Amino acid sequence: MEYFLQLVLNGLFVGAFYGLVALGYSMVYGIIKLLNFAHGDIYMLGAFAGYTMLTIGAGALGGGSLVALVVILIIAMILTGTLGLVLERVAYRPLRSAPRLSVLITAVGASFALEYGIAVLYGPNPRVYPVGFGNAAIEIFGARLTWAQLFMMLVAVLLMVALDTWVGRTRSGRAMRAISQDPKACLLMGINVDNVISRTFFIGSALAGAGGVMAGAYYGKIDFLMGFIIGLKAFTAAVIGGIGNIRGAVLGAVVLGLLESFGTAWLGSEWRDVFAFGFLILFLTVRPTGLLGERVTERV
Amino acid sequence: MTAWPSGGEISMMRTTRVGAVAAAAGAVLALTSCGGGGITGDSGSGGGDTGDIVLGMVTPLSGSSAAIGPYMKNGAQLAVNEANEAGGVIGRQVKLVAEDGACDPKTAAAAAAKLVTAGTNVSVGGYCSSATLPTLSIFGKANIPMIIPAANSNDLLKDQHKNVFLLNGTGAQQAQAALDFMKKSGAKAIALVDDNTSYSKDITTRTAEDAKGDSALKVVSRESVTAGESDYSAAVTAILRANPDFVYWTGYYQEGGLLIKQLRAAGYKGDVMVADGSVDKQLITIAGKDNAQGVFATMTQTPQTIPGGDAWIAKYKKAFNADPGPYSTQSYDAVRVAVEAIKNAGSTDGTKVITALQAIDGFPIFSGKLKFTPEHTLSEGGFDILVVKGDGFVLNK
Repeated sequence: MEYFLQLVLNGLFVGAFYGLVALGYSMVYGIIKLLNFAHGDIYMLGAFAGYTMLTIGAGALGGGSLVALVVILIIAMILTGTLGLVLERVAYRPLRSAPRLSVLITAVGASFALEYGIAVLYGPNPRVYPVGFGNAAIEIFGARLTWAQLFMMLVAVLLMVALDTWVGRTRSGRAMRAISQDPKACLLMGINVDNVISRTFFIGSALAGAGGVMAGAYYGKIDFLMGFIIGLKAFTAAVIGGIGNIRGAVLGAVVLGLLESFGTAWLGSEWRDVFAFGFLILFLTVRPTGLLGERVTERV
Repeated sequence: MTAWPSGGEISMMRTTRVGAVAAAAGAVLALTSCGGGGITGDSGSGGGDTGDIVLGMVTPLSGSSAAIGPYMKNGAQLAVNEANEAGGVIGRQVKLVAEDGACDPKTAAAAAAKLVTAGTNVSVGGYCSSATLPTLSIFGKANIPMIIPAANSNDLLKDQHKNVFLLNGTGAQQAQAALDFMKKSGAKAIALVDDNTSYSKDITTRTAEDAKGDSALKVVSRESVTAGESDYSAAVTAILRANPDFVYWTGYYQEGGLLIKQLRAAGYKGDVMVADGSVDKQLITIAGKDNAQGVFATMTQTPQTIPGGDAWIAKYKKAFNADPGPYSTQSYDAVRVAVEAIKNAGSTDGTKVITALQAIDGFPIFSGKLKFTPEHTLSEGGFDILVVKGDGFVLNK
């Protein structure tokens, strides 16, 4: 029973990180049908932005207090959001009417440019966050969760709820949903499509950046390739949930986290990625629309 | 003490997605270049039969591992000087010729060909395993014995070149050293964790095999994690469920640091030990200083950790006005072993020297008494147990 609960908690915790990154994937795909493969690297940039601020401002911010960390989280989100915006403007917007494949290739190019750009700036060796959380933990029916993990999960849930409210309740959220259905009609209806797409990139990238800072603070080690695997996992989560669907991305992330957790417990930890990406293939072949995805009607 | 990755790991450690492709391409190029007749000249006894005895050394003097080259070269030179002061060997003086291998297969292959042309009698170099690999057949074709001081990948032994002898401990020996220490520290239930790379998995597999027939301890859990990821909760939960009192990690320091951190966060209180790829100060930084205290490590010997190494260090300092580093002692020993074998063979003929090397029994070197196994590896010694104390690794006493 404790073991079962521990596996659930592990899965939820990992799923929270996948979710933050998967949201950006899904939003961008939903609105311009682009698989932004540089998205995982935005997560990495968030981690490095947080690292830089913590190292430079460690004294001024009073070491690694929670308040300082939250402030840094917000600044890093603004930074990565802006970067996502720039990336869209520079690499994707000029290609919006180009064939889908060209944009995909640009995205891969952008991914490498970001990775090795950071490698040039910070060197290829890993950096370590100058904060550390203690090992203090709470026991829930024998399963163990550290306070840091609990805090990270709360932040992730908070961000997800905020996003859901924004998309569902506000004017610009409504514009975003409209564009995902029919960008041309939106243009004719007087919606500034470019603006909304930029905003989508900003928000998606900010969420990934937040995930990066949290991963840096929790795991401690960051390096320039850290976004690669999590980017692929987030993509898998988005596909499982139904790519383009925002709640689906979160659901997919949680499902993937739990699948990995139970799958590795069952098969052994070396099977973790085989299991995760095996599910990607399974979903793409059996249910390409994912758990919550809508049936795509054939467009003429 | 700082950490130095042993020769076998350095190439793997720096490998990234792109690097792997480049390295593979490099290896292929190097292989084709030697297959295409890169070496001309006779394939007889290598060097001349009169004049100075030439000891050739391929070692990185440039590139990513450039720091290691001088340590090896000086260590070897020290032994050469001593041999010459004692009147040389079989009436001839000994000369060391070092060539830059740059830890790169292509450069190393070219350097080896150059050394063959220069009339090398015995090769005493080899640091990066990947760069040493293409030199095996080049020296082999010229029938030149190789005493390799640093490179220790099992790949070097795969083709069973009869001219290749390893002076550094191999994965099998590291596994044995680890197991001995586990038994000594009273471990009952051990968990083995690797990162799925051949170097790392080799050690866990051998440790598990060695432990099989042992009644004192049992391998209760074997896990593999993916390098490059951050979350190892799956492995950690599985390890904790098996309830071990000793965890042995055989991968590199980045994942090792994370694993130690997450094991401690999950409430693991038992011992942790890491293999030589993880002996780096960064391991302590990543794991967190508190979490890393008391973590053990199996590590190849450095002059600073060898008992009685102080006098040798003083001698080295006097000769080169610099501190010795990793593989200084092994290079020193490689030359001494070469000289001993030539003396016993009474000739520099490759075949006779190889026979003499195989026959060496009990020759004292830093890691113990030298006797080569039928596979041409050390039959004893080679690994120390270190422990994390404060900010660094110190010899466990």
